[in-house]
Amino acid sequence: MMNSMNKLIDEIRVTLKPLEILVPADRQIACIVEPGEVHRALAYLKSSGFAQLSILTCVDWIEDGEFELVYILMNWNEGIHVQLRARIDRNEPVFNTITHIYPGARYYEREVHEFFGIEFKGNEDSYKPLFLERWDAIPPLRKDFDPQAYSDSKFPMRDRDRVFKSRIGGTEDERS
Amino acid sequence: MVLDNKDTRNIWEKIGDFFSANSIWMKWYCTGCGAIEMPPTMTSRFDMERLGMGPMATPRQADVLLITGYLSTKTLRRVIYSYEQMNSPRYVVGFGSCTINGGIYYDSYATINQLDKYLPVDLYIAGCMPRPEAIMNGFNTLIEMIKKGEANGWRHYQENYDWYKKNQLESLGEVIIHDEFHE
Repeated sequence: MMNSMNKLIDEIRVTLKPLEILVPADRQIACIVEPGEVHRALAYLKSSGFAQLSILTCVDWIEDGEFELVYILMNWNEGIHVQLRARIDRNEPVFNTITHIYPGARYYEREVHEFFGIEFKGNEDSYKPLFLERWDAIPPLRKDFDPQAYSDSKFPMRDRDRVFKSRIGGTEDERS
Repeated sequence: MVLDNKDTRNIWEKIGDFFSANSIWMKWYCTGCGAIEMPPTMTSRFDMERLGMGPMATPRQADVLLITGYLSTKTLRRVIYSYEQMNSPRYVVGFGSCTINGGIYYDSYATINQLDKYLPVDLYIAGCMPRPEAIMNGFNTLIEMIKKGEANGWRHYQENYDWYKKNQLESLGEVIIHDEFHE
């Protein structure tokens, strides 16, 4: 079982020349590459059996000024997951689409655009809203978004000074 | 919200309220974790049906709209559609602390904090979550309120429609959404 993993890790190391390879858990490989290498790496992995794109998501590293795109691929024959990570500049959040390699990424890219504001060139759907209806602030999963301030501005809190009289078991006057 | 509790019903409305209080159909809008408290309430241990209450599939045939938990802005839109489809007299029961003050989602960008700004809530059942005993107690109270003519939220909604609409639009932008999934 481990032989197939080691063989795959060697192959990835030779073919993709990643910055770093990690094995976070059994049958999982994390592979950190330059952003320019992502498309080549995905095409290579797809041709070597990783037919399923399980998820495309993003991490906001605000202190480093970077967004990290995370692609998780699954090989159904071997039962192995590969995680491909690449960091792009946070001030210029533009990346190229992968829909020509994995067509299912169309909606994942739309989601990442909605929640992190990353543009995916070549995917004209990615600008449309998906989950958030009529969103009117910066993308909500960026670390500089303040959910408390947004909630206060849109959804007023109840005035806490007010005392609520319970109807169950009679009103307050009746009880005292 | 201050509900007008003066009993201005005529004899026929009193008779109608008496009978409708004993035969309540509920639409459960199971948005949150509170939905899990409903099966024990309606099955043999607590047996909601001995109060004459039963679940109903559609809002147009239901008397009570039961909001079981938090409401995101997205579900609040659907709840408002459902409420406006119901026939009067119609009653709203807010369930759990999320409908009262946002509960643990008080700082979420997606969930509202106070349901009675958007819909007229006749009765809140507090708790996180309320146990079936509390739910049964709340239903008893609702039945008493309907019999006495105190559950006037639907009338309050008609009379203060502008105020409710203004709050809905302030938080939601628009109630009926126009995007590619709805056209």
